[in-house]
Amino acid sequence: MAINKNSNAYIIMYTVVMVVIVATLLTFAATSLKDRQNANAENEKKSAIMEALGMAGGSMEQTVKDFDEMIVPALIVDGVFTPQVDAAGKADAKPVLDKMADLKGLAAAENELPIFKYEKEGVIRYVIPVSGKGLWDSIWGYVALTEDGNTIAGVVFGHKGETPGLGAEIATEPHQNLYKEHKLFDDNGRFVSVKLVKGGAHEGNLHEVDAITGGTKTSDGVTLMLKNGLAKYEGFLRSLSATAAEDTTLSDDAVSEPVLDETFSDGETADVKPINVEEE
Amino acid sequence: MKLNSNLTAPLGGNNPVIVQILGICSALAVTVKLEPAVVMGLSVIFVTAFSNLVMSLLRNGIPSRIRIIVQLVVIATLVILVDQVLRAFAYDVSKQLSVYVGLIITNCIVMGRVEAYALGHKPWESFLDGVGNGLGYAMILVIVAFFRELFGSGTLFGIDIIARFGYVGNSLMLFPPMALIIVGCIIWVHRSFNKDLQEK
Repeated sequence: MAINKNSNAYIIMYTVVMVVIVATLLTFAATSLKDRQNANAENEKKSAIMEALGMAGGSMEQTVKDFDEMIVPALIVDGVFTPQVDAAGKADAKPVLDKMADLKGLAAAENELPIFKYEKEGVIRYVIPVSGKGLWDSIWGYVALTEDGNTIAGVVFGHKGETPGLGAEIATEPHQNLYKEHKLFDDNGRFVSVKLVKGGAHEGNLHEVDAITGGTKTSDGVTLMLKNGLAKYEGFLRSLSATAAEDTTLSDDAVSEPVLDETFSDGETADVKPINVEEE
Repeated sequence: MKLNSNLTAPLGGNNPVIVQILGICSALAVTVKLEPAVVMGLSVIFVTAFSNLVMSLLRNGIPSRIRIIVQLVVIATLVILVDQVLRAFAYDVSKQLSVYVGLIITNCIVMGRVEAYALGHKPWESFLDGVGNGLGYAMILVIVAFFRELFGSGTLFGIDIIARFGYVGNSLMLFPPMALIIVGCIIWVHRSFNKDLQEK
C-alpha cells in the first residue's frame, strides 16, 4: 500500500525527522568549531593591543606570539595593578579579555579594570581598552600610554558600522597617528582626556585632535569614549605619574576635583558623569 | 553531453547573474576586494550544489504541501554550516562578508535552481547544475571584484599592482553603484556577443 504523502501524519513525521537531523548536525558543527572561533576573536583583540603599541607589523601568528611573550595582562583591583596568572603561574590573558566583554557596563567605581602592561628593555607601556557608541553602532579602541600614565604612545580604534569614508576614518592610521604624544592630564594635574575638535585642533594643544570631517557624531562618540573610558583609570594613572615624577608634586586639592568643563558644548554634557566627585 | 551543458550553460548563455539578473544584491556588496568575492563565490557554489543534491535525493518523499519549507530548512542549514566554518577558519574574510554569508539563504539563485531543476531531476545532474550556477555567480563576482579592487585600491588580493607606479585609488570604484555599472558593462559586452539574447 502506497503511503499518502499528503496525509497529516506523514507530514508531521517528515518534519520531526527532518528537524532532529538538522538540529543534530548544526549542534555538532557549532560545538566542534566553537573553540577555534573563540580563539579567533581572542587573537583579534590581542593583535589590536599590539597594534596600539605599534608592534603589529607581521603575521597574525607572530603578533599573537609576541603578545603572549611581552604583555602582562592585569586587572586593576582597588587601584592596585594585579597581574593575572593561571594555575601554573603563567600569564593568563583570559580573565582580562573576558572582563573587556562589557566595558561599557563597568562603572567608574568598579573594582576590577582590565589593563595590559608591556615591558621590554626598560620601555614600559600600558594599554587601556575603551568602548563607546559611534553614530550607528558601537565603537571601541585601545589606548597605549607611556609609563607616566599621561602621554599617549598610540591608539587604535575599531567600529562596527560607521559610515565608510566619514566616521569610519577613525579606524585609519592617519587619524590614529594624531593622538601620539598627546596628554591626558593638564599642567595642573586635572584629568581632561583628549577631545576631537570640529574645525581642527588648536595649534600646540595637547588635549585636542582634529575631528573627522563629515563624521562629527562619530568624533563626539570617540571623545566621550576616551573621556568616560579613561576616567575609570584616573586613580591608577595618577599613581603612575606620581611615581614617574617624584619631584614634581601634584597638588592634593586638584586630585579630587570634579572634571566637568566646557569640553562638551553641544548638549552632550548630560552623558558625561563627573568622575571621582567627592561631595564637598 | 547533457551533463556538460548543466555545468557550462550557466557560465555563458544562461548565466544566473547577467542573463537571469539574480543575486545582484550580494554581487554589489562583496565585490570591493577579490578575496571576499572569491570566498563568497565558493560559499555559494557549495550551497547551490549541495542544496540541489539534497533536494534531488529527497524529491520523491517530500510532501508537496511543505515543499518550500523543506527547501528553506535545507538551504538554511547549509548556509549556517558555511558561516560557522568561515568563522573558524577564515575569520578575517568572514568579518568582511558579515551578514552577506547569512543572506545566501535569500539568494534567488539557490532557491530558484532547487525549485526549477533539482525537484525534477536526478541527484548527479542536479549537483552539476548547482555547481554550474554557483560558478556562474562566482565568475561574475570575481570579474567585478577584479576591476573594483584594481582601480579602487590599486591592488589585487591585497598585493600592490599599480599603486606602486603612483596610481591613486579611485574611491568611486569602492562604492556600491560602481558594481552595478560594471555588471551593466559585463551584460553589454556579453549581449553584443550573444545576439540571441538581445531584446528587440
